[in-house]
Amino acid sequence: MAAVYKSLSKSASKADKETDINGTVQRKNKQRVLILSSRGVTYRHRHLLNDLAAMLPHGRKDVKFDSKSKLYQLNELAELYNCNNVLFFEARKGKDLYMWFSKVPNGPTVKFHAQNLHTMEELHFTGNCLKGSRPILSFDGAFESEPHLRVIKEIFLHIFGVPQGARKSKPFIDHVMGFSVADGKIWVRNYEIREVEKVKSADDNNNEDDKSKKGKSKGSGDKDTDISLVEIGPRFVLTPIIIQEGAFGGPIIYENKRFISPNQVRAELRKAKAGRHVARMEQQRDTLARRRNLGLESGGAKKRDPTGLDTRELFA
Amino acid sequence: MAKKGVTQSPKAGPKTKSPVRDGKSVEKKSDRRKSFEPVVEKMVEAYGEEWEDESDEEAPETNGSKGNKRKARDDEPSEEESDSEDSDHEHGGIDLEGIDDSDSESELDSDGDAEKDDDKEEEDDDEEEIDVDELSAEDEEDEEQIAAGTRVRQTINNKEGLLAALRRFALDTNPKTVPFAFHQSVVSSKKTEDSIPSIDDDLQRELAFMNQALEAARQGRALLRKEGVPFTRPTDYFAETVRSDETMQKVKAKLVEDATAKKAAAEARKQRDLKKFGKQVQVQKQLERQKQKRETLEKINLLKRKRQEGGSSALGATEADDLFDVAVDNELRSAGNSKKRAATGDSRGAPNAKRQKKDAKYGFGGKKRFSKSGDAMSSGDLSGFSAKRMKSGGAAGGGPKKGGKAPRPGKSRRKAMAGKR
Repeated sequence: MAAVYKSLSKSASKADKETDINGTVQRKNKQRVLILSSRGVTYRHRHLLNDLAAMLPHGRKDVKFDSKSKLYQLNELAELYNCNNVLFFEARKGKDLYMWFSKVPNGPTVKFHAQNLHTMEELHFTGNCLKGSRPILSFDGAFESEPHLRVIKEIFLHIFGVPQGARKSKPFIDHVMGFSVADGKIWVRNYEIREVEKVKSADDNNNEDDKSKKGKSKGSGDKDTDISLVEIGPRFVLTPIIIQEGAFGGPIIYENKRFISPNQVRAELRKAKAGRHVARMEQQRDTLARRRNLGLESGGAKKRDPTGLDTRELFA
Repeated sequence: MAKKGVTQSPKAGPKTKSPVRDGKSVEKKSDRRKSFEPVVEKMVEAYGEEWEDESDEEAPETNGSKGNKRKARDDEPSEEESDSEDSDHEHGGIDLEGIDDSDSESELDSDGDAEKDDDKEEEDDDEEEIDVDELSAEDEEDEEQIAAGTRVRQTINNKEGLLAALRRFALDTNPKTVPFAFHQSVVSSKKTEDSIPSIDDDLQRELAFMNQALEAARQGRALLRKEGVPFTRPTDYFAETVRSDETMQKVKAKLVEDATAKKAAAEARKQRDLKKFGKQVQVQKQLERQKQKRETLEKINLLKRKRQEGGSSALGATEADDLFDVAVDNELRSAGNSKKRAATGDSRGAPNAKRQKKDAKYGFGGKKRFSKSGDAMSSGDLSGFSAKRMKSGGAAGGGPKKGGKAPRPGKSRRKAMAGKR
């Protein structure tokens, strides 16, 4: 295994040199992600965190963070661990999960509300991939349309994209992470790339081309395989809530007006449930008032008109 | 507090030259207050843009605001009368506007997206603002608004700020300068949402997501191969996977279980169907048998009635026939082969027209009266007579007593027999 890796990395470094010759400046992509959660996460949140940590070889999992209000302390924590990204799971009320994606020293912070969480374990998909292989990140076209989505995309690229040459990363690419925008939410999926025999196409020209290409690129696998995707998991849906300019602080530069807090949703539900009772009570009160006005209620005779125009007073 | 923000804002620009952030926060407050009013979304957004611009500026000049003033004068009276809220809203933005217009030029040159900003300026001009002089009056109204309540949700979409933040930390993913292997991200050309007919349709939605990822995977593989980066994992490369073997085994077991369960269910259903069908066949057979029996009985009854009515002689049945129910058999056979008979035009079928006529005229089979009374023929008929039987002395006579029964013993003998018993 080591030999394979060595040979491959050698070829990779050769490629790097080539690009250098081309006159491009090699910028080092150095990312480290601090992955941690607040206290009060459910097992499902914890499992999702573990799944994500397994996929991010450049991640550093830390123990639960104690505070929910002093999030700026995370900056120091990240600095302590030499991380420039933070992925923080904030659980509220033992059911709602908010995910914070932050660039630590001075980058923006995005807060998401995570819904429809499904961990790898419970999804029972047949896909699998190497631990720490670099994913291809697939972004929806919509990510280029809005500034806030562009920021979100960039943050995803930093946090979910495994940097080239990360310490524990594997040299092959065998999974895709998909980020799609639909219904104002971001849907995250993870698929295995499975290379299958290509179904023979009708035109022979293509085949011949393939064959010639195959002859050329013998080292890098067969050209005539097609790709199919098998889902691995986890699945989750993120609703952006706010984007802050600083790391866990600073002015808010984006706020999602379509986001409705789950507390509010629940309150509405409860209110709707209570509505029937309220309506009934109101009706009862009205009836009572009407009856009193008519002097039908015991004890309370009809009030006399204070202006002196009451019939009883006029014709007494 | 909100009032303070508004009143300060025109002055705040020049005063707070270095701490841009402060100016911004002040702006934000004013912005926030603004949005309490039921404002059209577009307005809010436009507004957001305005103040964002402002945040980038440092030294506002008075020129721009003067220009604004002049323009605003034209709209002023009508606006005030008709729609105080609207004017109020616009007013809030005014100072920023002026600052914005005046200063943006200096930045634009450095920034390079001059066109975009120009556009924005034009937009701003369209939705003109009101004079600074009106400020105090407007502010009172503002306060009322605040007191009235803050129901409309305010949103922030500071596009400029977002872009600035993006610029600060973005990785270079330009395909011309950076190899694909550096970032490995693919942005699809079309929006995935367009290919989802309904967000609640799980199958369609997941298919759309998968298609997006598949397209990216194809594209990524092509690019990586072009760059000579290893893509496919060799079959002899083993390493730890994200999901442990245990999990995968569990998954596989579950799959197998599911498959077997499905198979078993299918088998069971088949069996059930067969059973149901078998029962049906059985019932049908029984019914058929019953029907046959009923038919036979009916035919027999009919025949019996016919024979009772018409007498056996009419049908030409002999004694032997009578004994073995030959007529019945004939009748049954006729029912079975009726089709064939009909085809051949048998005598048993309907007689010809002449015969029918004659039957109608004279009756069928002659007269039935006196058919049982004796006549010369019957008295002359001695076929039933046998001398031997006559001689054996059977007074009962006539019966088919060949050899015959032993005559009754005498009384004494009978008594003796009874005593023996």
